[in-house]
Amino acid sequence: MTFLSMVARNLLRRPVRTGLTLLGISIGIAAVVALVGMSRGYEKSIVKQLDAIGIDLVVSNMSGGIMPKVYDASLEEKIAPLPNVAQTTSVLMQMMSIEDAPMMMVSGRAWGGFTWEKLRVIDGRLPADGNERAVVLGTLAAEVLKKKVGDTVQIETEELPVVGIVDGQAVVENGAIILSLPILQELTLNEGKVNFIDIRVTPGTTEAQMAALSARVKEIFPEGRAMVADEVVGTSQGYRIMRAMSWSTSLLAIIVGVLGVMNTMLMTVFERTHEIGVLLAVGWKKSRIMRMVLLESAMLGLLGGIVGVALGALGLMILKRTPTLRGLLEPDLGLPLLLTSVGIALVVGIISGLYPGWRSSRLSPSLALHG
Amino acid sequence: MPSATTTATDPPAVVYDARGLTKEFDGGQVAALRGVDLTVREGEFVAIIGPSGCGKSTLLQMLGALDRPSSGTLTFRGRSLPGLADAAAYRARDIGFVFQAFHLLPTFTVLENVQIPMFEGDLPRSQRRARAAELLESVGLSHRLRHFPSQLSGGERQRVAIARSLANRPGVLLADEPTGNLDSANADQVLDLILRLHRELRMTLVLVTHDLGIAKRATRIIRMKDGRVVDGPATPTPTPATP
Repeated sequence: MTFLSMVARNLLRRPVRTGLTLLGISIGIAAVVALVGMSRGYEKSIVKQLDAIGIDLVVSNMSGGIMPKVYDASLEEKIAPLPNVAQTTSVLMQMMSIEDAPMMMVSGRAWGGFTWEKLRVIDGRLPADGNERAVVLGTLAAEVLKKKVGDTVQIETEELPVVGIVDGQAVVENGAIILSLPILQELTLNEGKVNFIDIRVTPGTTEAQMAALSARVKEIFPEGRAMVADEVVGTSQGYRIMRAMSWSTSLLAIIVGVLGVMNTMLMTVFERTHEIGVLLAVGWKKSRIMRMVLLESAMLGLLGGIVGVALGALGLMILKRTPTLRGLLEPDLGLPLLLTSVGIALVVGIISGLYPGWRSSRLSPSLALHG
Repeated sequence: MPSATTTATDPPAVVYDARGLTKEFDGGQVAALRGVDLTVREGEFVAIIGPSGCGKSTLLQMLGALDRPSSGTLTFRGRSLPGLADAAAYRARDIGFVFQAFHLLPTFTVLENVQIPMFEGDLPRSQRRARAAELLESVGLSHRLRHFPSQLSGGERQRVAIARSLANRPGVLLADEPTGNLDSANADQVLDLILRLHRELRMTLVLVTHDLGIAKRATRIIRMKDGRVVDGPATPTPTPATP
């Protein structure tokens, strides 16, 4: 028997209580994994989308909600002549409820712009020109809406025929309804407005030149800014709120976890007062008693963390498949997040064991034996 | 076993020396010990007897550093016991304590219970196990290693507790009514075991009992009453009530 196996045995003594405590802490950790994984996944999906299309800089006004505010499309003409700008195109992106799907990305793209280039047609065709009142669906969007070529999709007041299914090589692209810019502008009463101007820079542009370009854009368009792909999400207010909410909800879940483990460990210590007295009487140091309680608590945390990560990952997999979120994000279940979560659980365990451990180490052997 | 060489001229070394030892509980409301003087020498078998509530168990707890006296001095081999910086090390290595109620840990097997004090030593795992098995064999329980305390008779449990008290090879055994919870057959067996330890390992033995039959087998009897050591020879008849 080792000290560690002795500690493990103590946990098994009350399997129901240990199990319930484990469940409590693992739900907290699962919340961390699911919420943080989701908000990080959102970020990753957008970056991937921009990469897939081949966008170097995005000009937008991120002060809106999840979607940036619209602005006048004529801005593109002022940006195009700036140094290092190779190509520009403008996009109006809206998050809309489409038929049974509560939230879908609808992307109106300037005809002939490079945002159309990377779309691989799986079925049907792209719109014939910028004036054709028709849409193409990303593969996931087609699945979510249960549409195929020849069906129609209702956007605001108009039924538009689906002329093609496309693969955009990123979850967000595949989850989108794509159509020509002027048609979406008209349908959403945003004539002459866009909310993204995408820029491709000339090959060999240095980071310094990129920064200079961003500065020039800021001069022309003070309300917005030009961002490299990774910044786009980070500066979105909606995303910031989402991130803050996911962390604060996680924090609450963690605090509940700490209280649960602490309660269990305190009960354990009270219940084992006599036993701790015996351990002291046979010569155990107070520090070893404290270590025993802390180790028990840490073990609870670690196990809870492992179970929680599994639960959270499972939850994310399920969330990812719900109609609401389908095609909007690709959850980030990277190893760093999983390890961080298990780490948090371990720290929760240790913190929760401090007070019970301290209490147990203050017991007097003779009182404990009589009590 | 640390037993001093004794010659005809030199008396054995002093193990415990208590002077004016008192112990009060509840902020002075209850006085369990009211000035006890006591000397225990190397290799002695001292029996402390007296009616319940006389303070004999309290005295034994002081000797075992399970509790601290309220006043007076108490030394173990010349070192002040209440003043020990590391009372745990003293409890682990210098003494073995045997309780009336055995105090085994119910969720651990016999073999594991005996190993518990050894965590404070430096034996590796395999040697802890081997030593525990050896100790259990010496108390006649090698067939019970994997049993839990609840599966044993009272006498067997006490023998496990005795094996546990010997885990770190102490020189002193303190026993508080070790046969108090046992029937007479089991009590005899346990007592024989304790006497054998005293004889063979030359352990100093301090035993608290209210059973004069047991006390008579000791080399010296100390009678206690109302928190004091009562002088005079031990007799089976009750002492006259103090005025």
